[in-house]
Amino acid sequence: MKKFAIVLAFAVLLAFPVFAAAQAEVAGPASFVPTKNIEWYVTSSPGGGSDIFTRNLMDIMVSDKLVNDQNIVIQYKTDGAGEVGRLLVSNIKAGSQADHTLLTFNSGDLMPMAKNTNNRFENFQPIAHLAVDKHLIFVGEGSAYKNFEEVIAALKAGKNITLAGSKGDDIACHAALIKELGVSEDQFAYIAHDASSGAITAILGNHYDLLICKPAAASQYVEAGKIKPILALSTSRFPGNLSSAPTLKELGYKNVEVPNWRSVVGPKSMSAEAVAYWSDVFKQVSTTDAWTKGYIEKQKLVPEFMDHNVFKAYGTQFQAEYLASIGKDK
Amino acid sequence: MEKRKITSKVLIPVCSALIAVVFITMGYFKYGFWHSAKGPLPGFFPVIIGTILLLVSVLSFISSFKEEGTSYPWENWYPALGAVAVMLATLVIGMLPSLAIFVVVWLKWYEKYSWKTTLIVFAIIMGIVLGAFVFWLGVPFPKGFIYEMIAY
Amino acid sequence: MENLTMLLGGFSVVLTMQNILVTLLGAVLGLIVGAMPGIGSLAGVALLLPLTYKFNPTTAIIMLGSLYYANMYGGAFSAILLNIPGDSPAVMTALDGYPMATKRNRPGQALFTSNMSSFIGGLIGMFILTFTGPALANLGLKFGPAEMTALLLVAMTSIGWLVGENPIKGVLLTLVGILIASMGMDTLTGSPRFDFGNMYLLGGIPFTPFVIGTVGFSQVLKLMGERNKKVEANLSQKLTIRGSMLTLHDIKRLLPPAIRSGFLGTFVGVLPGAGATTGSFMGYAMQKAFKSEEELGSGAIEGIAACEAANNAAAAGSFAPLLALGIPGSGTGAVLLGGLMMWGLNPGPLLFTNQPEFCWGLIASLFLANLLTLVIALGIIPFLIKILTVPIKILIPCITVICIVGSYSTSNSMYGVLVMFFSGLFGYILDKNGYSTAPMLLAFVLAPLLESNMRKSFISSHGSLDIFFRKPISAFLILVLFAIILTPVIKFVIRKVRSSTKSV
Repeated sequence: MKKFAIVLAFAVLLAFPVFAAAQAEVAGPASFVPTKNIEWYVTSSPGGGSDIFTRNLMDIMVSDKLVNDQNIVIQYKTDGAGEVGRLLVSNIKAGSQADHTLLTFNSGDLMPMAKNTNNRFENFQPIAHLAVDKHLIFVGEGSAYKNFEEVIAALKAGKNITLAGSKGDDIACHAALIKELGVSEDQFAYIAHDASSGAITAILGNHYDLLICKPAAASQYVEAGKIKPILALSTSRFPGNLSSAPTLKELGYKNVEVPNWRSVVGPKSMSAEAVAYWSDVFKQVSTTDAWTKGYIEKQKLVPEFMDHNVFKAYGTQFQAEYLASIGKDK
Repeated sequence: MEKRKITSKVLIPVCSALIAVVFITMGYFKYGFWHSAKGPLPGFFPVIIGTILLLVSVLSFISSFKEEGTSYPWENWYPALGAVAVMLATLVIGMLPSLAIFVVVWLKWYEKYSWKTTLIVFAIIMGIVLGAFVFWLGVPFPKGFIYEMIAY
Repeated sequence: MENLTMLLGGFSVVLTMQNILVTLLGAVLGLIVGAMPGIGSLAGVALLLPLTYKFNPTTAIIMLGSLYYANMYGGAFSAILLNIPGDSPAVMTALDGYPMATKRNRPGQALFTSNMSSFIGGLIGMFILTFTGPALANLGLKFGPAEMTALLLVAMTSIGWLVGENPIKGVLLTLVGILIASMGMDTLTGSPRFDFGNMYLLGGIPFTPFVIGTVGFSQVLKLMGERNKKVEANLSQKLTIRGSMLTLHDIKRLLPPAIRSGFLGTFVGVLPGAGATTGSFMGYAMQKAFKSEEELGSGAIEGIAACEAANNAAAAGSFAPLLALGIPGSGTGAVLLGGLMMWGLNPGPLLFTNQPEFCWGLIASLFLANLLTLVIALGIIPFLIKILTVPIKILIPCITVICIVGSYSTSNSMYGVLVMFFSGLFGYILDKNGYSTAPMLLAFVLAPLLESNMRKSFISSHGSLDIFFRKPISAFLILVLFAIILTPVIKFVIRKVRSSTKSV
């Protein structure tokens, strides 16, 4: 026991200079380059939208040699619906580790986090905003409705409508939509699924009236004629095979959109040099062909790059508006 | 049969009844039971299950007095104590060293195996852990606060 | 016959040297991943995904498909030899596999049974997949929330068969299992429930560490009392492949449950939200309704066959919605789907039409993987059963290490270890007091599915019960449910009436 205590004491003593040196190193030089493995946290399961987003970014960063030949290690932290991983990143103390930690962060992550926990956007260091996903409403082959006018007419006639979708931003879309249409949640009910695929399955089986999802998940089914877009929750129509869906404005309402933005953040304690470095790396990635053709176009996203300063202002405002909309603002 | 002792047999239904009460009250008052248009709310299912559990617990409680209690030899808890030691040591020196020390200490000093057997088993089990979990699957095991202090 | 031609075409894609090697590699890795507690097919496939970017998509999916598939075999190994399920579908295998290996001293036969049943179940699933493919997927679509609710209610009655000799205790634990499973995020409202303000509980109790604890770690605590017994003397059979062969009589016992479970498992695999774990649970529960030569739970061949065949069939069946509609039936399916997108394919209803080579190649590779895995799995039996000659004294610290490492690896956090530890303690105390934990685990898997489907049904019907009777499939299933519940009651009444008339 005594021996152990001595060893421990030594280890602590030895650690201090190293610790101090690490601190000095961060504060000293004006520019930053990664010098060790980069730990990139993803708070949803492998295979999902966040994972694909992260892997695409990572592949380009490695193949274009933007990370000083260091390895990027993806860490899946799905405990507590992702909140544990987010809290962990927000709590990393200043130092070399903080400068080598990234977190994939979407508005679909921000909304449940702000709603269910005390963790806030301010607890992270915004790095780069890369793309935006918007939503559409679809009907299945066997649906009773052919277009959104019919849906509005049915609602006015007092009929009940069910809308199937995923979690997070899809739910927020529904809330904004019924507010604009002026109908109650009881009449225009929302049925949440764990993932968009679950909602699509239910619509293909004709178990609900309408489906809400993002273009990437729906595109194949539209092409196969299994589902049809009837409303674009955006300020303009979507391109390609989704262009037949009108916006709400065309139907005589105000446009409704709850964008799901995809971004990268770091720990709050990340040094200014590292923030500048990473923000610049993502800016470079966002201009590559591999990104615009291989990811944005294929997943039908809207490319929208914001550097750390612009993104910080945008994200803070987004959170404030969201908190106000659910009545959680102080 | 001589006297009614409070054994774990009796305590299990008491615990399950307590769980039931917690889930019923929280489910009913905090999460809501039924909504006229939406049907069941988040509390609906737990409240129903909790109510049945409460009834079953009472039945089980009554019948538990007829059964004899069991004994828990101290020895059987040793692996649990070992696991607790590993978890605590993980915080300080990290998980892999803790597990390594646990295996050696257990075999050498508790089971009194020879160094040879101890080291062979040690090599095999650490081989599996390092080879499969660490190198192949790349599981990032916790490294303890000593390492963290040096690394940060 | 067209499908058969397509399948043959698929084989011509698969049977290249590179693809066979890749299938082999996938099979070996799958067996290892499956046998290791905590790392299931989901983690295995997810971790290998980046490695496969370098391959062409067909080769890549063949490797992942065979890994996923072989994983279903591997889970049984540690379940039978150590009583620690290697992955969640193997929970039921441990119930009969471990007693068969230790109490009946037939570890080789237990492994042989599990491998053969896996093969048969998988083969049935694949044939159904080949001939009905898209039609099978469409059948799955018919099961909306109302139908799923009715089906799950029927499935839940099977818990009655599992509760064992003391029904009160069985029911008590089942209910506790349901309540534990309800902790965490409520999907329908997106709000936390029974999280007691704890960040970790927000995500609920993770199933894998929970299983490793209740089944595996509690086993370690139990073994402490028996560790001074000599094991070597007990092991009567020869540690060779010949010594592990099944007798003709064994095979006769194995076939009927394996074939039944093959069909049931395929069907479960196709259903939305149900996976291999549900399949194996239901296969085992169904076996309770049929006659087994030895009592289930005491090391019966029928028990192993029923669940192993079902989980492999479910794994095969889950490829139907994945390929025909682009709908993942499980977490692993979702990763495979993510993989398809990364390789530049568009999974969805057009995949079969646009990429027939790829689809049929994958199906053909499943057949190949099934065969290769069987050969490898049978071949390593003699080496595997040597584990049983290791003294318990040595196994205890080793299993403890594996439990800790495995539960940590499921979510890379100490939370998993804590869940494993406490469920191990409770599992041990419950076991000591004559509670069987199997119904609790079954309830843990089925109850959340039942709850969410039931609530979805009620939302779409505006709180009215008629939705369950309006739709033909669910109305039929509700009738079945009543029949199952009422049969014992009616039997009981008839017996009462008869005995009373006799006595009068």
